[in-house]
Amino acid sequence: MHMLTRRSLLTASLATVAAIGLGALPRMARAQTPAQASAFVEQAGKDLIAVVNGPGSAADKQAKLKQIVDQVVDVDAVGRFCLGRFWRTATPAEQQQYLQLFHQVLQKNVAGKLGDYQGVTFVVGRATPRDGGTVGVATVVTRPNVAPANVEWVVSSSSGSPRIVDVVAEGTSLRLTQRSDYASFLAHNNDSVQALMDAMRKQLSQPG
Amino acid sequence: MAACDGFGVRMDVMTRLVLLGATGLMLAMAGCATPPPATDPDAVADFKQTNDPLEPTNRVFYAVNNGIDAVLLKPLALAYTYVVPPFAQTGVHNALSNLNSPVLLANDMMQGKPRRAGDTLARFVINSTVGVAGLFDVATGWGYPFHTSNFGETLALWGVPEGPYLFLPILGPGNPRDSSGYGVDVALDPLSWVTGTAITDANYARYGLTLVDVRASLFDSLDKATAQALDPYATVRSLYRQHREAEIAAAKADNRATTPGWYPSQPAK
Repeated sequence: MHMLTRRSLLTASLATVAAIGLGALPRMARAQTPAQASAFVEQAGKDLIAVVNGPGSAADKQAKLKQIVDQVVDVDAVGRFCLGRFWRTATPAEQQQYLQLFHQVLQKNVAGKLGDYQGVTFVVGRATPRDGGTVGVATVVTRPNVAPANVEWVVSSSSGSPRIVDVVAEGTSLRLTQRSDYASFLAHNNDSVQALMDAMRKQLSQPG
Repeated sequence: MAACDGFGVRMDVMTRLVLLGATGLMLAMAGCATPPPATDPDAVADFKQTNDPLEPTNRVFYAVNNGIDAVLLKPLALAYTYVVPPFAQTGVHNALSNLNSPVLLANDMMQGKPRRAGDTLARFVINSTVGVAGLFDVATGWGYPFHTSNFGETLALWGVPEGPYLFLPILGPGNPRDSSGYGVDVALDPLSWVTGTAITDANYARYGLTLVDVRASLFDSLDKATAQALDPYATVRSLYRQHREAEIAAAKADNRATTPGWYPSQPAK
């Protein structure tokens, strides 16, 4: 059943991309107060913890985690950001395929960390307005036997509802790191987006 | 804290100097990255932003380091985390961190950050006594949290730019500013001034243990990040730079007043 939900979600998000006009970032960032962003992060975190520490098999939990990722992360926006300057040069078909792969890679990466999230707790701190109408929500994430980590969640409402567009763990931005990874891969593969997508498919086919 | 503070890995001074010398030699012999043609301004901008003109050489050392890691450091760290219970690992980490306090203090002072220097001094006194020779980090709970401080950071606060990216064996990712800063930190360490067989042996043990402690702390963060990367080398480069920038920004922004709370007309921040 979750397959069905996932598929419909994916179709919905792809339809959204098509509606936006493929690529043009909607710059009409709707007014978003820091308090709203904080509340959103708090809820998203609670949902995540409820799944991780709740009942069910690992496979069930992973499926639920994937759903949460699609609900709380503006995956398309992150995907576009990570492709950087190559988004503009990619064909519409490539853009669509790339975003689809990016969705799957992100879901896989998050679901693969299920074990790490066990026993996690978090405290929401200050919310600060950031560039481009986004809000950074500071949290302290604590896991058993690991030193507490400062994690900032960058929330954007440019898609209409609040969505996470970046996670900054101890000063390192997830999407910036991902973008440099892709940029370097492209630089060493003749700037071919096709080669990048082949590599992403390979990542998806690997276990774990 | 433990997530990434292991990028500047320590080791015995002599071996390090020899390695640095060899590195310099090989850098001189090895090739540089070819800049893209000026007709492609986007690619040129990328190349400048990446700021890694020695990339081919750096990649060789990255591979060498991974080799050393796979056969030596990683198995050691795995064994360490398997055999030593978590509370003891934390104790070891705290004690090693406490021994590094003099270097931290010197850098806090050179950075002109009196409150940070005060934190470091308070941590050293509290943790060395109440914290039983540094095994327990009591000071954090008492309002003196840990912060990083090193000579690379000090140079950055003095306005020295980082320079091109460098990847060195054992030391790992760096740049001329931070990697040479590491050498200054070793020289600043009072424990490296003392001579005598017993002390030297103890120092070897300490450097070795630090290496294992740092490597073990990276299982969680770095290993997973590189496992998910298409180009692990570029991912490490990006993570290192971002992490350094965040540390430097934190030191820069820490301008807490030195007057006590009861003092009148204390500025808001």
